[in-house]
Amino acid sequence: MKKTVDDRLAALRGSAKRLDYNARSLAALENNPRCTLRALLDASGSDKTAIATHVGHPPSFGQSSFAITRGNAFEAMVKDNGCAELLRVLRETLHLTLPEVGYEDLNDVGGDGRSKERHERTEEVLLRAARGEGDGTLFDHPMLRLLIGGHKAYLEPDLVALRIDGRFHIVEIKSFPIIDEQADSTQVRAATTQACAYIIALRDLLGRAGIGEQAVSDTIVLVAPKDFTNRPTGAFVDARKQVAALTRQLSRIERIGDLVDLLPEDLTFDLAPDAEDRPRRPAEELTEALDRVLVTYRPDCLNHCEMAFYCRSRARAEASLDVLGPVVREQFGGIDTTTMVMGLARGELTPSEDQVEMAAALRHAARLRAELEDLGGAA
Amino acid sequence: MSTLSALAHVQAMESMQAVPLTEFRHRHLSGRPLVIVPLAMAGEAGAPLAAMVGSAKRNGTLLVVAQPRNRDQRFAFAADLGRIVMDYIDSFRQDRRGEGERSRYTEAPQILVPNPGGVKALADLGRMCRFRATSGPYAVPDVVPEFGMWLTFLVDWAEQAGTSMLLPVTEMLTEHWATGQSTLEDQNLASLMAWISPPSSLSVEQAMADAENPDVCPPAGPSTSPEFDNRDLAPAIRRFDTARTLGDPHALAAAEAELRELIAGQIQPTWRMVWQAISLLRSVPEAPRTAKRFEGDCKAFTDYSDYRDSGGLPQRKRDTAIGAARRLGRLERALAEFESDMAFDDRFVLADRRSAGEAFDGTVVKAEPGRTVTTDKNRRVPRPRVTVRTEDPVRLAADTKLISPSLPTGHKATIVSVLSDRDVTQITLEITGGMGRGRVPKQGTVPEPGQRIAYLPDPGWRPAPQFPASDATPWTHSAAGAAGTDPAVPEDAAAEEWGNED
Ligand code: SF4
Repeated sequence: MKKTVDDRLAALRGSAKRLDYNARSLAALENNPRCTLRALLDASGSDKTAIATHVGHPPSFGQSSFAITRGNAFEAMVKDNGCAELLRVLRETLHLTLPEVGYEDLNDVGGDGRSKERHERTEEVLLRAARGEGDGTLFDHPMLRLLIGGHKAYLEPDLVALRIDGRFHIVEIKSFPIIDEQADSTQVRAATTQACAYIIALRDLLGRAGIGEQAVSDTIVLVAPKDFTNRPTGAFVDARKQVAALTRQLSRIERIGDLVDLLPEDLTFDLAPDAEDRPRRPAEELTEALDRVLVTYRPDCLNHCEMAFYCRSRARAEASLDVLGPVVREQFGGIDTTTMVMGLARGELTPSEDQVEMAAALRHAARLRAELEDLGGAA
Repeated sequence: MSTLSALAHVQAMESMQAVPLTEFRHRHLSGRPLVIVPLAMAGEAGAPLAAMVGSAKRNGTLLVVAQPRNRDQRFAFAADLGRIVMDYIDSFRQDRRGEGERSRYTEAPQILVPNPGGVKALADLGRMCRFRATSGPYAVPDVVPEFGMWLTFLVDWAEQAGTSMLLPVTEMLTEHWATGQSTLEDQNLASLMAWISPPSSLSVEQAMADAENPDVCPPAGPSTSPEFDNRDLAPAIRRFDTARTLGDPHALAAAEAELRELIAGQIQPTWRMVWQAISLLRSVPEAPRTAKRFEGDCKAFTDYSDYRDSGGLPQRKRDTAIGAARRLGRLERALAEFESDMAFDDRFVLADRRSAGEAFDGTVVKAEPGRTVTTDKNRRVPRPRVTVRTEDPVRLAADTKLISPSLPTGHKATIVSVLSDRDVTQITLEITGGMGRGRVPKQGTVPEPGQRIAYLPDPGWRPAPQFPASDATPWTHSAAGAAGTDPAVPEDAAAEEWGNED
């Protein structure tokens, strides 16, 4: 009998505990959506950090305790006193009319902090609000849930769902500054992508009760420190494009079966951990397994993916142009390796039909280069 | 990027060795640059943690903010660094040449930082300092706003291509060398140096691995490594805070000394590496036109210096629409001129443009040196035509105006026709300038058959676009308005709070 996709994914992960998607790993989807290895590792719930470390390429995504402290302190300050500062920003900076404000902390479910219970409580409260019952305006610590590839992923935003004029808005509190009304675009983008996961999850929650998606706005409220102070300021961020992009990625995960079908039957990323969680699987064997899966490495992976050092070393070993990044790559459309580039440039390889033009440009460039070097180049 | 530059990166990757992209160094390199290595605290809005500063490798001054979250300590730091930088800047406000309008300083300061992040750190510091009030409740020393304004000026000016008053050394290095790694990795000074000049006992591979290991090569800033923050820095700052709370002078001195030592360990490797990069760059000969461009730096420096001397206002927070348009125009023009200067000076860069089809080099196969035309004003002027045969993949169209590094300056030509047949292109040109005033072109101004000649597009002299005159200080966009109202200074200038108060 043919195994189900879930069985295959479980076999890929092996004996380790399943890791679920979280807002961060969902956000990372956007950075390299075409990568098969990443898709498989995430869909199977494999521990990327442990795998990369075991094959000798530990990721370096350490977070400074200063940044964490600062982030927590800022968030606490904004939410203090029933979100007093947050309300001030909403009213004064963003000019929102909020008559009466009801604040509800969804973290508080009688000491029962389990995801499922908290989610049920969130569901109940938010649905009531969506139907116009109750006087809630701000909902702190909602526990959202997304079904990804048939698996429940709980998302626990450190944020507030704000209800104005009958619509929910996601409020993201971040500690990077907005200086003279401008914030670092990379950081804004990362924050927005994360918020998109919440928008989609919130829409999903309401959708299950037959409430349409327009009940959740795709404009995010970003709250961050103003200039060099500790005082918060706010801005609206349009997340439409990113919501659409993430929705597309998610639907791709639903079709993970197509990717799994292409894999060899016996492939697994199992670490075979012992009782102390130390991997027993020989590292070479694990490397071999990884090597059998397609990757689309690009230097930007170094900023986003736990597997980046492994993928880079693989790209280097294959003399892949991916190592040099898209700017250089684009110059050699359709050629994959340095060996091929140099072969064509030196006239040692015969170009295929669609490489003819590229090969001519390369031979020309190589001639120029030779001229320059003959005349004694710099350094 | 041209095929040639891309190929250089591929060659570097294949040979595991940096490949030169230019024959010359196109940036002015001061005989006495001021190096600043700024460090900032993670998570805070541009909160300075430390800086190493100095104009010689041997005498760097290390400044440390023991508790970066403390407002007073931050300002004490800004004042200390400000004094050093202002002394340096002032040392260039001495010798002036020329009279009246044309009078200007003969030299200009040059601040070098490790990487683009260093420029950003200085921009933040400039923004933090320039609006500070020197009296009232949150008074800061006089030097703080002055320093802030100068930093802002330098950061703004650095956006213009070809300038040299503030530069990241990574940028100077990558202008000259291609590595076998990505642009992202090239921004790590240690990784870049691993390709160009690995430590003598190491291979490029080993040096690259070391460059990414924060225990061997601490990051060049402005962020310190998270491991260092969590393992060393956070406990040391805590000890400092405790000692301060207890008011124990011995413990305080010890905690401060410990912090300094820790930070010195993080910053000194970068400091040394920046100086090593500078001496590498010195070994590359300077391009001929660099000196001319440097005069532009001196002029901008003089103008801003005079503006400060006349008590000018701090740069506004955001550009006005006019200011932004003016600035964009200036940046575009400067970029076109810089690119053309480089191609003119440097056969590597010219080859690069040729590879991209934006320039060509070939042999004159036909010439009509005696050709003349009659102008509208009924004057007969020489308009010789020549045809150049080239194997370059030319992508220039008819009517493009050209200049040539192979002929006396002033030479100008226009493309009449371009005929391509497989790998060979015949370009017919009409020579329009640089032949002298007579009816017959001066000797040597019209290329002869058999002569090798190169052409590239003329960036042209474009008139500066006209804008309303109200905003007459292009480098600051400060509306030094006659009305005396000052939108550039926020009302809360003095009260704007900093970070977490202790
Ligand atoms: S680092 Fe590797 S696994 Fe991760 S996204 Fe990039 S290519 Fe895919």
